[in-house]
Amino acid sequence: MRTFPTIVALFAIAVGASTARAHAFLENADPLVGSTVSAAPREVSLTFTQNLEPAFSSVTVTDANGAQVSQGKAQIGGNTMRVRLKALAPGSYKVHWHALSVDTHTTEGNFTFHVGGR
Amino acid sequence: VTLTDPIIYVRAVHFGATLMAAGIVFFIVFVGAPSFRAGDDKHACSALRRQLSLIALLSLTVTVISGAAWLVLTAASISDQPPTQVFSGGVAWTVLSQTSFGWDWMVRLLLACLLAVTFVPLLSGRDTMLLTGTAAVMLAATLAGTLAWAGHAAGGLGAEGIIHPAADFLHLIAAVAWVGTLIPLALLLGAVGGNAGSLAIARTATLRFSTLGLVSVTTLLVTGSINTWYLAGSVPALVGTPYGQLLLAKVALFFGMVAIAALNRLRFTPRLVHSASKTEARNALRQLRRNAAIEMLAGAAIICIVAVLGTEPPASHAHQHASYEALPPDAAFIHIHSEQGMADVTITPGHPGMARATIRLWNENFEPLVAREVTFALTVPAAGSTPVKRFASQDSDGAWKVDGVELSQPGNWMVTVGAVLGPSTRLVLEAPIVIEPSDQ
Repeated sequence: MRTFPTIVALFAIAVGASTARAHAFLENADPLVGSTVSAAPREVSLTFTQNLEPAFSSVTVTDANGAQVSQGKAQIGGNTMRVRLKALAPGSYKVHWHALSVDTHTTEGNFTFHVGGR
Repeated sequence: VTLTDPIIYVRAVHFGATLMAAGIVFFIVFVGAPSFRAGDDKHACSALRRQLSLIALLSLTVTVISGAAWLVLTAASISDQPPTQVFSGGVAWTVLSQTSFGWDWMVRLLLACLLAVTFVPLLSGRDTMLLTGTAAVMLAATLAGTLAWAGHAAGGLGAEGIIHPAADFLHLIAAVAWVGTLIPLALLLGAVGGNAGSLAIARTATLRFSTLGLVSVTTLLVTGSINTWYLAGSVPALVGTPYGQLLLAKVALFFGMVAIAALNRLRFTPRLVHSASKTEARNALRQLRRNAAIEMLAGAAIICIVAVLGTEPPASHAHQHASYEALPPDAAFIHIHSEQGMADVTITPGHPGMARATIRLWNENFEPLVAREVTFALTVPAAGSTPVKRFASQDSDGAWKVDGVELSQPGNWMVTVGAVLGPSTRLVLEAPIVIEPSDQ
């Protein structure tokens, strides 16, 4: 039954690489991952590859000392998550996100961004 | 693949029980009842009905119990709590009332209860078939089909968010119509005796099952291809990831079942239906029964594979795990993949000059990989050049960093990441990375 993988492979070649995704992964971030922004952002906005479950998804932002600088709970709708920030002084900030996709799988991650020239 | 995860077994039991309960409904309405009318063997008919009633009720009960276990394990995994605490902490209720998985589960519980109600007239054999039969088939089909929203198909965005679950919905119903009806068919073929009235029942049943099978196989092929496209995505992903390999094994089993079904349809069914000799008809009957048993084993193996597949990260995201768009536009990025582990390497800025390299290590399940020591080497794109090797230091967020990497020229540099994972385990990952020419 060698033909089975061949058939599947041919089919896959015919349709080409798809843009499919599974599990909610970070697709876009504002501010960008690892970026340096000149003006302090008022909020952090994250876009994911899948729709999120608001009840079990969250994002927090902390400064270099570990103090929380995000305000209140994240607003979550569809595949985006946004959280308001306190007024940020120049420095490094860490964004930690935790996402539950509607397919019941959790993912989490973190990244830093910098405010002001460095 | 971690076979110690109880969710795999709960999924297998739940899929099996759902297919069984729904399959019996499909069988009685589409195959059994018309066959009983075609032949004359009252004793065999009522014995079979009793058997099927028992199995159907048992399967539906197991469906509900395993569904509850699935909910508890999901709530535990979502909340990072032990399964014993999801009720006291209220997590189970939050999952049930506030997530799409929970809403799907409540709908399915309602469907299971309604289906149980239709079992009473359906299985007792009082021929009020048309209305009860239609209702029971719809309920059974939806009970199985709505499993689509408990898995990977639920996560898509845009058009994928509609097409993928719709394909999965039909795929599950087609699986009920074929795999779920195999056991009742085998029971029917085993129950009928050798007399003429009995053979007439077996003939009608086999013919009708054959037609049902043809429709199911076609549906399974089309919807399975759509699902494969969404979840595997590419040939390397299909061949090179555990998810893809399991999927290929499932496809191979499926085609094996199709081959047996074709043999049944082209050889044994005509022998049973047209043969003038009773002996030959009985031989064909025996072959059909044996083949149904083989197909059942293959079907059970497929259910076990599906149970594992739902817990594995789909192949498609292996190559999409990294989020290119979330990175600064001037960063060079490469995702290096192997069976032992993988690395995301970012070089900022990704053009000639001094840069910083960031390395994140993952295992095959995309959990952070713990390393004792990480080396990073870059090879300049020129013949005979030797790599410049540096030790990386670990940041508080788990990423490994190398500062002051000198990029002398643009082009295809070679990245080599070496990670010491244990006393004798070493992971070496290598891939080219593109360094763009400077703009100004």
